[in-house]
Amino acid sequence: MSLLVAENLTYSYAKNVSPAITKVSLKIEPGTLTALVGPNGAGKSTLLKILQGQCIPDNGQIKIDGEKLIRQRSQVALMPQRSSMNWKFPITVEKLVSLGQIKYSKSKSNSPFQIKALLANPNAWINKCCELEATMQRVGIANIANRRLDSLSGGQQQRALLAKTLMSPAKIYLLDEPCAALDPPAKDDFLKIVRQLADAGLSLMVSSHDWGTSLNSYDQVIVLDKAVLASGSPDSIKDKLEDINISSIEDNDCCD
Amino acid sequence: MSFINNNWWILPLIVTIFSGILCPAMGTVLITHKRLLQVNLISHCVLPGLALAYAFEINPSIGGVVSGLLGSVVAESLTNRKSENYEAVMNTILAGMLGFGVILIPLLGIRIDLETVLFGDLFVANFVDLLETIIAFSVFMLLMAFGYEKVVYVGLDPEGASASGINVSFLNLALSFTTALVIVSSMQAVGVILVIALLSTPTLLGLNKAHSLRIAMIRSSFFGLCISLLGFILSIVFNLSPGPAISVICVASLLIPKLRK
Repeated sequence: MSLLVAENLTYSYAKNVSPAITKVSLKIEPGTLTALVGPNGAGKSTLLKILQGQCIPDNGQIKIDGEKLIRQRSQVALMPQRSSMNWKFPITVEKLVSLGQIKYSKSKSNSPFQIKALLANPNAWINKCCELEATMQRVGIANIANRRLDSLSGGQQQRALLAKTLMSPAKIYLLDEPCAALDPPAKDDFLKIVRQLADAGLSLMVSSHDWGTSLNSYDQVIVLDKAVLASGSPDSIKDKLEDINISSIEDNDCCD
Repeated sequence: MSFINNNWWILPLIVTIFSGILCPAMGTVLITHKRLLQVNLISHCVLPGLALAYAFEINPSIGGVVSGLLGSVVAESLTNRKSENYEAVMNTILAGMLGFGVILIPLLGIRIDLETVLFGDLFVANFVDLLETIIAFSVFMLLMAFGYEKVVYVGLDPEGASASGINVSFLNLALSFTTALVIVSSMQAVGVILVIALLSTPTLLGLNKAHSLRIAMIRSSFFGLCISLLGFILSIVFNLSPGPAISVICVASLLIPKLRK
C-alpha cells in the first residue's frame, strides 16, 4: 500500500483567483526518494504545504497509510524554504535540531513506528535516528553542534535544518527547495545525504526548480506546473519531458 | 520606611534597577523576533489611553496598556510583516494614535505633563511606579518561565512553530501585551519615547556572539543595568534629566564594540 496518496488536489489562495494547483494526484511509496520539479510559481511549495496540512485544499483528499491526513498530520514533516527562517536568531545548531522533537499539537504521535522501523534497519546509525546526536552525525553536523547558526555556511545551515526536520517522528519528510542558494558541491553533498536516508528506509520528497544531471538519484520524479505534467521513474520522465514545453526548467546541475 | 522617606533617591534607584534589567531583556526578545517597529508603535499608542484614563479617573497605566495593545492589534490586523506596506502602515498608525492622544487632552479638559510622559522623570518615582515596574517584571518572567521554548521557536521559524502546534498569533499577542506593560512601567523612568533606547541599545551589545536567547537576555540586562545606573548617577551629579541622560549614554555605548577593535 502507498504511504501517501493524494487525489485531485485543487487549491486557490483566494476566490476569483486562478488556482495555485489543479487536480494534482500523486503517490509516495515507503522508503523512496521523490523529486518534485517545476518552474518558479508552479505550485510546488503550495503542494507541500497542503500535503503537510498547513493549507486545506478546496477539492481532493490526502491519505497517509489509508487514513485521512487530518488524523495523521504529525506523520508528515516539512523542511521549510531558507527564506522562512530567521538565520540571525541566537541559537546553536544542537538547539535548533532539538526543536524538531517538539510537538505541541495533540495529534497522534508515531514515535513507536519510527523506532520500530528504524531498528529493523541493518544500518547502525539509523537505530538511533530519533536521537539528537545520531541525527547530527548522519547529516554531518556533529562537529559544529555548538556553533551559532549565523556562523555557518549555507550548506551547513541547510543540513542543520534537515536534521531538525528528521528529528520529527514522521513517516514522510517533505523538503522545500533545500538546495536553493547552495553551490554545486554543497548541493551534491546534500543530495547524497537524502539518498542515503531513503536507502535507509525513510520516505522523502524534495522540491526543486532546478533540472539537472542527478535526476537518476531519485526513485520517482513528478513534474508540476499548476497540474502534474508527468510522473514516473527518472528514465521515463526524461522521455516524456521532450514532449513537454517548460521553458523555466533549466538544465542546471545536481540536486533536482 | 523612614529610611526610604529620608532618602529620596532610594525609590528612583530601585525603579532604575528594575527598568534597567527589564527593558533590555524584553528588547532582546523583540529584536530577535524583528518586532522593534512594533515597540515604537506601542510606545506612541499609549497616549490616547493615558488621556482617557485621566478623564475617567482610572489608573493611567491601565489605560496606557489597553491603548498600546489596541494599537498593536489594529496594526497587525491591517498589515503583516511580509507585506511591502508594513512599515508605512505601522508608521501611519503610530503617528495617528499620537496625534489622537494630543487632540484628546484639550478636548477632555485634562492636564497631563506631556514632557514627563514622553521623556520621564525618574526622580519623582513613587511606590505606585515601583509596583507597576515589579508587575511588568513578574509578567515578563512568567512569560519566559512558561513560554521560553515557544518564544525561541516562533522567533526562529514561525511556520515550523505553527506546524508543531504553537498558537503563533496568541504568542504574538502575549508579547504585545508584555511589551505594552514594560513600556508603560518604564514611563516614569525614561518616558515612552526614550524607552526605545533602553529596549534596543543594550540588546545590540548583549546579542553579540550570544549562543542562546537566554544568554543574550542576561547580557543585555547587564549592559542595560550599567547604562541605567550610570545615567542615574550622572543625573544626580550634574543635575540632568535622567531619561534623556540614559538615552545619551545608550548612544555613547554603541561605541564600545568599536573601541574593542
